[in-house]
Amino acid sequence: MIKVKKFFIYAMLIIISIISVFPLYWMMAASTNTSFDVIRGKLIPGTYLMENIKNLLASNNLKGALWNSFRYASIQTIVSLIICSLAGYGFEVYHDKHKDRLMTVLLSAMMVPFVAIMIPLFRMFSSAGLLNTAIGFMLPTLATPLLIMLFRQSARSFPRDIIEAARLEGLSEIQIFFRMFIPSMKSTYAAAMTITFMNAWNNYLWPKVIMTTDDSITMPMLVANLKEGYVTDYGMLMVAVLLCTIPTAIIFFLLQKSFAEGITGAVK
Amino acid sequence: MFKNKIPLSVKQNRAGWMFLLPAVILITVMNFYPMFNALLLSFQSGKGASLEYAGLYNYTRMFSDKVFMQSMFNCFFYLVIQVPIMLVLALILASVLNRKDLRFKGLFRTAIFLPCATSLVSYSTIFRSLFSTDGLINTVLLKTGILQTAYDFLGHPMSARFVIIIALIWRWTGYNMVFYLAALQNIDYSVYEAAKIDGASAWDSFWKITVPLLKPTILLTLIMSTNGTLQLFDESVNLTSGGPGSMSMTMSHYIYDTSFRFVPNFGYSAAMSFVILVLVMVLAIIQMKVGDKRD
Amino acid sequence: MKKNFLVTLLALVLSLSLVACSNGGEKPAEGGDETNGETLTVWCWDPAFNIYSMNEAAKLYQKDHPDFELIVVETPWDDVQTKLSTAGASGDISTLPDIVLMQDNAFQKNVISFPDVFTDVEGSGINFDDFAAGKVAYSVVDGKHYGVPFDNGAVIAAYRSDVLEEAGFTLDDFTDITWDEYLEKGKVVLEKTGHPLLSCISNEVDVVMMMVQSAGGSLFDAEGNPSIADNEIVAKSLETYKALKDSGVLVEVSNWDQYIESFQAGRVAGTVNGCWIIGSITSGDPEQAGHWSITNMPKLVGLDTATNYSNNGGSSWLLTANCKNKDLAYDFMKSTFGSSVEFYETILPSAGALSCYKPAGESSVYGEPQEFFGGDSIYQKVIDFSGKVPSNNTGVYYYEGRSAIADAAAKYIAGADLAEELKAAQEQVLFQMGQ
Repeated sequence: MIKVKKFFIYAMLIIISIISVFPLYWMMAASTNTSFDVIRGKLIPGTYLMENIKNLLASNNLKGALWNSFRYASIQTIVSLIICSLAGYGFEVYHDKHKDRLMTVLLSAMMVPFVAIMIPLFRMFSSAGLLNTAIGFMLPTLATPLLIMLFRQSARSFPRDIIEAARLEGLSEIQIFFRMFIPSMKSTYAAAMTITFMNAWNNYLWPKVIMTTDDSITMPMLVANLKEGYVTDYGMLMVAVLLCTIPTAIIFFLLQKSFAEGITGAVK
Repeated sequence: MFKNKIPLSVKQNRAGWMFLLPAVILITVMNFYPMFNALLLSFQSGKGASLEYAGLYNYTRMFSDKVFMQSMFNCFFYLVIQVPIMLVLALILASVLNRKDLRFKGLFRTAIFLPCATSLVSYSTIFRSLFSTDGLINTVLLKTGILQTAYDFLGHPMSARFVIIIALIWRWTGYNMVFYLAALQNIDYSVYEAAKIDGASAWDSFWKITVPLLKPTILLTLIMSTNGTLQLFDESVNLTSGGPGSMSMTMSHYIYDTSFRFVPNFGYSAAMSFVILVLVMVLAIIQMKVGDKRD
Repeated sequence: MKKNFLVTLLALVLSLSLVACSNGGEKPAEGGDETNGETLTVWCWDPAFNIYSMNEAAKLYQKDHPDFELIVVETPWDDVQTKLSTAGASGDISTLPDIVLMQDNAFQKNVISFPDVFTDVEGSGINFDDFAAGKVAYSVVDGKHYGVPFDNGAVIAAYRSDVLEEAGFTLDDFTDITWDEYLEKGKVVLEKTGHPLLSCISNEVDVVMMMVQSAGGSLFDAEGNPSIADNEIVAKSLETYKALKDSGVLVEVSNWDQYIESFQAGRVAGTVNGCWIIGSITSGDPEQAGHWSITNMPKLVGLDTATNYSNNGGSSWLLTANCKNKDLAYDFMKSTFGSSVEFYETILPSAGALSCYKPAGESSVYGEPQEFFGGDSIYQKVIDFSGKVPSNNTGVYYYEGRSAIADAAAKYIAGADLAEELKAAQEQVLFQMGQ
C-alpha cells in the first residue's frame, strides 16, 4: 500500500517535472541547430552550437549585456533584500494599528500597471541624470510591497521570546534583526533572493525606456534585438535565450537547499 | 499576544519606525509620487503631448468602451478559474516536496520552479506551436479519434482563453510553490509526526496542519496572484495577441496599446490603470480582512 | 556560523556597491546631445538590413567628410516607439537621437501626436519626385515632407515554380490575375499536389490590408474619418479572404514563426507579402534554391480601381527635434539615401535592401539575375511594382483601424454578418478617436 502510494507520488512528480522542463530542453536542443532546423521543429540536438555562439558573439554585445544584467540584478537583489526585510520585520514585530494600515497603503503601490507611472518616472530620472546607469535601473524596484509583505508574513512565525531574551542580554533592536532574525530566516531569504534576482534579471519595460546606448543594454534587451530583423536567426536567438534563463535556474538550484534544513539556526 | 506582556517603550516604537523608513521613502518617491502624477493625468484627455483638462470624462468613457469591457471580463475570467487551481496545486506540490523521505527533492523542486525562469520567447513559441492546428495537441486528439478535424484553439475565443489559463498555471505554479516551501520551513516537522502517530492521513494533516499554519503565506500569494492576473500582460501579447479579435485581450494589454500602439491617449490609459488599482485594492482588502488576523 | 553569514553579506554589499560606483565613471552621455561636432546618432533595428545600410551610408559620406561620425544604437521597433512616446509625453526629448527609423504605418500617428519631437526635411534639398509617389505619401504631414524614404514594401506574390509545374501551371498563369482566378487555380494546385498557396497569421490582417490598398482603398477618408462601414473595397477584401480560407487555398497559422516555417519548410507553396519577405524565402530549405519565382499579386474582382499592386510594411528615416546639427543631418541624408545611386548599388546585393529611389532602379545591379529565383531579375520587377502601388491614406488612426478590422474579420469568419461587423468596427474606431 505504502509502496503503491510512493510510486504514485514519484510518477506524478516525474510527469510534472518533464512538462516543466520541456521548454528548457527545447531551447537547449534549438541552440545546437541551424535556424532552419529550429523553425522546422527539430527536437534532437544538432552540431551547430559553436557556430551559433560564434555568430552571437560576432554580432552582439553579448559580454556587455551579460555583465550588465548580472551586475544590475545582483546589486538590486542584495540591497532590496535588506531594505525590504527591515521593513517587513518592522511591520510585524512592532505592529500596531497604524503600521497595519500603512502596510495596506504600501500594497497599493504595486496595483497600478507600470505603464501608467513610467512617464513621470522617466521625467524624474532624466532630470536627475540617471538614464543609462545601474542606479537608474534599480531604484524603481528596490523596495517592493511584495517583498515587504513576504518578510512581514514570515516574521509572524519568528518566536517573540527570542527577541525578549536578546533584549535582556542588552542587544539593540537593530542587532536583534541582524543577529537573530536574518540567520533564522534563511529559507525566506532564499525564496526572496530567487524571486528578486529573477525579476531584476528579466526586467524589460523599464530598461528599454531608460537605456539608450549600446553599452548599457541588458540580456532581455539583447534577446529583443535578435528577434527584430526581417530575418531571424533562430539558432542564435536560442543561445541567447538559454543564457538568459540559466542564471536564475542555477541560483534557485543552489538556494533551494535551504528549504531542506527545516527550522534552522538559533530558533527553538 | 505578546504585546500586552511587554509594554513597548518609546524607544522601541521609534526603532520600529526606523525599520520602515528606507522602504517607505523609496516607495513614496518611486511609486506614490508618479502615481499621483498619473492620477492628475487621468483627468486629462488628448492626443500625445497635447492634453486638456477633461474632468471625469475618461472614467465615464471607458464603460462604453467595448474593448475595455471585454478585457475586464477576460481578466476576471482568468482570475476566477486560474488562481484557485494554481494555488491549490502549488500547495500540494510544496507539501509533497517538503516530505523528509522524498528523494531527489532538489531536482524536482528545480524542475518545477523552472517554468517561471524560462524566457518568455521560448515558452510562448512552444505553447503556440503546441496548440496550433498542426500542433501536438491536435495531432494527439486526431489520432485518438476524439476530434474528427483539427481544432483551431487560438482561433476561438473560449479555447484561446483556456490556452492562456493553461499557460499561466504552467508558468506560475512553481513560483508560488517557492513561497510555500519557504514558509513550510517555519513549521516544526514534529507536528506532522505527532499527527501521524495519532492516525491522521497525509490528506488530513495537509488540510488541518499545513493549510492553517501557512495562512499568512497563502494570503500573500493570493493577493499577489490577484494583482498579477488583473495586470496580466505577457501571455495576452505573446500567446494570443489578444485574439481572436480582442476576445482574449487583458486590460494591461489594452492600456499598452492605447499608450504605444494606437494614437497615444495617456490620460485614458492612466484612468484605466486606476480602475485596475481600485479593483485589486477592493479584492485585496477583502482578502486581508478575511485572512490577515493574528491569533 | 551566524557571524560568517553576516560578514559574507556585508562583504558582498560592499564589493557590489563598489561595482555599482565604478559604473558611475563610465557613463559619458551618449544620447543624441553630443551632436555639436560632426556626429550623428541613429536608432534602427536590423543589423543585416537597416543598420547595415546606415553604416554603409556613413562610410560613403566619410569619403568626402573625414570628420563625420555615425553612432547607430540597435533599438527594436517596439522600443523606438516606446522611447519616442515616453520622451514626447514627458516633454524631455534630450535623450533622443538625431535620426530614427520610422515604420511607415506609424509615421502620421507619431508626427501628429508629438509635433514638437520631430523636424521636417523640407530644407534638405532632396528631390522627392525621385521616389515612388505611394511611398513618399506616407511621410507627408500637413503638406510637409518629414521622411526620407528607405525600404520598399511593394507587395510581391512568390510561388514555388516546381509545385506550380506539378499542377500543370506556369508563373504566367499567376501573373496579372484576379483573386477569383487565383482561387480556382489554387484549388487545382491543392488537389494535385496537396500544397496550399498562401499562409496568413490569423490575428493579423496583413492579407486583407494588402487587398484594400491594392484597390486604392483605405480605412479612412480624406478628412481622416473612418470609412469602414459601407466600404465596398473593405467588404470585398474580407469576402475574398474568407473564400480563400474556406477553400483551403489559404491556411491560417497562429504566429510569425509558423508563417515563416510554412513556406520555408515547403508545406505551403507560395506567399504574398511586402518584398522584404525575400530574405525569409531565401533563408529556408537550401533544396528550394532555384524553385522560387516572383510576380505581382492578384487583384480584387468587380472593382474599377482594382490593381495588381500593393504595399505592406516599409520604413522611412525621420529627424528628431533633438538634432542639434540639422544642416549636417540634411546633407548626410541627401548625399546618401536622397541622391546616391552608388549607395543603393552597394546595399542591394549585400543586404537585399530594395530602395524606392527610382534612378537606382535603372542601375544594372537591379537587373542582375538571381539564381535562387531561377535566374530571374526579381529586383527590377519589384522596382517596377513599387512604381504602380496606389497610394494609401494610413490616417493617424491606422492601428485602431487595423485592430477593428481584425476584430471584424474574426467574427465574420466565425459566421457573423459582414455588414454588421463592419459597422461595429466603424463604431469602435470612432469611439477610440474620442467621438
